[in-house]
Amino acid sequence: MRETPVGAGPTLGGIALRVLLLITVAVAGTWAAHWVRDALDMTIMPSVEMQVHRGIMFGMLAYIVLLAIPFVPGAEIGIALLTAFGASIAPLVYAATVVSMMLAYAVGRLLPAGTLVRLLSVLRMRRAAALVSRAAALAPDDRLALFLEGAPPRTVGLALRHRYVALAVIVNVPGNSVIGGGGGIMMLAGLSGIFSPVQTVLAVAIAVSPVPLAILLLGA
Amino acid sequence: MSPIAQALALVAAVLGTGTATVSVMNSDIPDLRVPEADWQPGHALDGMDFAITATIDQNGAEETDILRFADGRFQSVDCERYCEFGWTGYQTWTEGEVVHFTATTRCATAPHTVVWHGQVVDGQIAMDMSWTTRRWYWTQQITGSGTGTLTEAPVTAAAG
Repeated sequence: MRETPVGAGPTLGGIALRVLLLITVAVAGTWAAHWVRDALDMTIMPSVEMQVHRGIMFGMLAYIVLLAIPFVPGAEIGIALLTAFGASIAPLVYAATVVSMMLAYAVGRLLPAGTLVRLLSVLRMRRAAALVSRAAALAPDDRLALFLEGAPPRTVGLALRHRYVALAVIVNVPGNSVIGGGGGIMMLAGLSGIFSPVQTVLAVAIAVSPVPLAILLLGA
Repeated sequence: MSPIAQALALVAAVLGTGTATVSVMNSDIPDLRVPEADWQPGHALDGMDFAITATIDQNGAEETDILRFADGRFQSVDCERYCEFGWTGYQTWTEGEVVHFTATTRCATAPHTVVWHGQVVDGQIAMDMSWTTRRWYWTQQITGSGTGTLTEAPVTAAAG
């Protein structure tokens, strides 16, 4: 039997199996969320509607702020709202995600790096401060390469030429929490100075659309 | 413009666009459809109060309420407790001994609309209703139906 050489990439069959597994997990997760929602009876009765509304508004505000901060878990708030309320809340969670990503981008782009490092240090966000401090010492193209630490050099060149596609991909890659998650990535993108605002909004709007779209379509 | 002001302007622009997008994506749910008829401003039920029990379609919950008709106006005591719906004009048309009625009530302090439609005959009432909340990010609706009988006016009735 021919052995797969050590260090070789996944086979086509392996990739297909992983995609099938991912789809199965997504469908099973959506079904489980429906079951949980039915069990909890999330019918919003008139007597509690105002409290639910206030809770959603507060939750969205917390979601936007926390998701924008590097190394702070915020996605769970959006997931909890999607689980509780399903497809009807998906547009709001989607828009809040885009706003959060652009907030992080705006902070990275428009605040001086030194100010940003001091601000994050004062807030005791040492990992985030260290990330920004490290990026600030690099040239703009090298800042982008921070996203792709450990990747082959050819990947970095490709990412620079198609930076908005690279940004959209990196935001969705599992394990991007090592570089601060979505907030960290967008803050670095702003800090790099090589991402224009309009194209960045479009890239982010497309990048974060798969999950809300899936929930809208599966929940319909 | 200072960097902080630019950052705030960018976020405000994205926030405004996002809000507008969500509002456009928010699909409406129509209120309870009231059948076409020769509806006229009503007084046929003036002075009557009905104690009803309604079942909510979405979760099977039972709700009790008192529906009041006075001076050509209608009020649900429970709705008044949840939100400031006040008194609203009601309409009727008569078919023999059956008085059909309908009323559309709106809360003054929140985006709730409740549509009522029913029939009264011989002191008995049967009704359908929809409660629709239209917020900028979503629309929620519960519907229900129920029956009831004439009752005395509630002691703590809201002022007419």
